[in-house]
Amino acid sequence: MGNMSPILMAMIVGFLLGLLAGAIMQRSNFCMTAAFRDFFLFRSTTMLAALLMLVTVSAVFFELVRFLTGAESFALAAFGAPSLVTILAGGLFGIGMVLAGGCVVGTLYQLGAGSRLALWALVGLIVGSALYAEIHPFWSAWRKMTTLGQQAVTLPQWSGLPAWFFVLALVVVTGLLLWRWPRAFAPLPGWRELNGFIPPLYAALVLAGVGTLSVLFLGNPLGVTTSYAKMAALFERLLVPGHLAATPFFQTQTTISFPFVAGLLAAGPGPTLDGIAVLQFPLILGIILGSALSAWHLGEWRWSRGAPWSQTFSVLLGGILMGLASRLASGCNIWHLWGGLPIFSVQSCFFLTGLLPGAWLGGRLLIRWVLPEKHQGDGVNE
Amino acid sequence: MNKVRVEKLNVYGQVCPSTLLLALREVNRLQDELHRGEVQLDIRTDNRFATATIPNAVRNMGFDAKVRKEEEGYLIQVCAVRS
Repeated sequence: MGNMSPILMAMIVGFLLGLLAGAIMQRSNFCMTAAFRDFFLFRSTTMLAALLMLVTVSAVFFELVRFLTGAESFALAAFGAPSLVTILAGGLFGIGMVLAGGCVVGTLYQLGAGSRLALWALVGLIVGSALYAEIHPFWSAWRKMTTLGQQAVTLPQWSGLPAWFFVLALVVVTGLLLWRWPRAFAPLPGWRELNGFIPPLYAALVLAGVGTLSVLFLGNPLGVTTSYAKMAALFERLLVPGHLAATPFFQTQTTISFPFVAGLLAAGPGPTLDGIAVLQFPLILGIILGSALSAWHLGEWRWSRGAPWSQTFSVLLGGILMGLASRLASGCNIWHLWGGLPIFSVQSCFFLTGLLPGAWLGGRLLIRWVLPEKHQGDGVNE
Repeated sequence: MNKVRVEKLNVYGQVCPSTLLLALREVNRLQDELHRGEVQLDIRTDNRFATATIPNAVRNMGFDAKVRKEEEGYLIQVCAVRS
């Protein structure tokens, strides 16, 4: 009970960070899915450039945190030794996020702003997490077989070069791109007509700050997907408790530490209120509510109309693929791109390597199979 | 003065980037009449981001676009550039 107050404080911090992230994402339409999809479909670089800025600024901030606090790179163990199967998982995730029209966090802020489709993506994410639980023993063995060494988690560890060298290289590359091609970073020309719009590049700076505060106060970069596995476990406890008890994945447990909480908290995908719940539940709630408040403040909150069935199915399938792939890769795009890339986690580099062709393929599938030849439902010519 | 025909396209609740793609498909279908000023295309959507992407895309195609907020979302009017 002595820890109750610091835990509550950690939850409040997570909730506030979620509120800010949700509002900023709603205003800027910040979307990691669009970053890759729109580059492949429309050669649009606005969101991809914003993502590059997010990774670069986060890398500088995270390195500063490491330097000023004297701590070793945070949460390294959580990223784990690099395994080649993560490339495959990244590919599945890439297909899933494009089919779902948003990633694991995009789904949350779209839901907050009233998107009915996002609810289907959320259902898919939970179903996908439950599916992973069924193949966990097989996948764990495969992951172990394709793991490249056990000691090195990051590129600096692999290469023996200092972390600041990689940070500097990233800053130089991003700086050169910004200097040579400033138009690639610019928002769409008509953005000022959009009520309350924040250009994605500025949003990226704020979001890098949010991620850094999460590292400082919660000891971890942002992540949400273990909570989807937890929700799957909660449903299984209600519906098939015997099966839940016999599923090894839901019994797995590790520990998690918070900077201002004494001792370690248990953390796992099982249906318990543990360290994962402390870390992620308030964040999830905050993102949904932050986006809803932002949309409401603009007078734009509304429960959207239903989409054609093909799109609903696509979003559900995309959610399932993302939920499954997040567990296959031990983390989602937020975890790997917003938390792992800035510390040059090799596992996160593998995830990105798979994500790129996955997002391209997802775009082809979307155009070929999902989008209607002629507008359907409400899309009637009058 | 010639009467301008108004074509309507309603795209609510769609997955990204469906709104933009459907709008562009419709603009392409009507492009000759739009250029001649015989048609105006009224696109209604609840997709906030489409109010930036659609005007940007159609202006690049040589049309004019105006955005207005409505009860259920936004109205994007695409028409010929008035000289």
